[in-house]
Amino acid sequence: MADEFIKGFGILTGAGLLWMTLAGWYQTPSFFMTNQLIAPPPEPGNVFDAISIFLIDVFLWTALLGAFAFWILIPAGKELAAAIEERGESS
Amino acid sequence: MSDTDDTNETRTDGGEPATDGGETGIVAPDDETPTWQERKTRKSGLSQLTYEYFERARREDQELREESDYVERDVLGFPTWPHEIIRNGAISLFFVGMILLISAALPPSLELPANPSSTPSIILPDWYLYWSFGLLKLNPLNPGLAVLDGSKLISDQLYGVLANVVVVGAVAFLPFLNKGSARRPVEQPFWAAIGAGGAFFAITIAAIAVQNLIPLPLALQLNIAFIGPVVLGVMTYALLKTLREGYMYGLNRRYYMLRPPK
Repeated sequence: MADEFIKGFGILTGAGLLWMTLAGWYQTPSFFMTNQLIAPPPEPGNVFDAISIFLIDVFLWTALLGAFAFWILIPAGKELAAAIEERGESS
Repeated sequence: MSDTDDTNETRTDGGEPATDGGETGIVAPDDETPTWQERKTRKSGLSQLTYEYFERARREDQELREESDYVERDVLGFPTWPHEIIRNGAISLFFVGMILLISAALPPSLELPANPSSTPSIILPDWYLYWSFGLLKLNPLNPGLAVLDGSKLISDQLYGVLANVVVVGAVAFLPFLNKGSARRPVEQPFWAAIGAGGAFFAITIAAIAVQNLIPLPLALQLNIAFIGPVVLGVMTYALLKTLREGYMYGLNRRYYMLRPPK
């Protein structure tokens, strides 16, 4: 349980930090607006910008789905397996 | 009560409390300590309850240890140097590194310095007074009365001040209603729910103070500010009432009340 927590937490914070940095570069027209980190990105000028703008969504979904997988899906699957096994033993 | 019970007096609290940190708290079994077999033979009343309670706790602890893949060591603590210092130094260096990394990767834009001769469009107190400032901004809730031809009975300013009086008065009156004897929230779910709702209300009413900065319509903000805490309180109450069952609340409460007075 604790291992799953720190795995999900590590993915959430690590990918979240990378997302926040890239979104701060490309999706933040001003730090004094409410649309910072979520504004539409500009047209990429070179290949590095294109890769970075592509990676913004990759890191965002890695953070969300990683935490979801390790905090909810995998523990639920373990509980389910244990319940099925217990039912098999008792019958 | 038979004679054997008088000689074998049950100790429910483990004897002298060791609160000075001088003892390890580990007591080797001696002849006076009843074995689990002896405890098991007491089949009536509180002694049986005691046996079942501690046996269940012991068995659960044993199962947890068997399930765990951590290595058990006979170590009660670690010395400050080098273990704790190195660990704390690593944690401190990690956070210093994160501060440097983020400030290097995401330099915030520095705007022009504040102009002291012009009043800003949004005037705000310090952040810890936002809740009171939010209560002053409740003029959308000040009702107009039909008998007064739609005009308001009291001014918006007085309405906000009265809202502050109501909230501060409720907080001041709270200690007379509940003495705070509960040691954990499950013991008094109602008051825990009041506390959770109140803490959440402090946040939501503070958001009313900065309503201009929140991209939500004001009616929705007011609904969140006043209905949200009630919803959270009901959820807290239901959760704690549910937790009581698995927590063996009644049994723990009996043991708490069994302890000898100081």
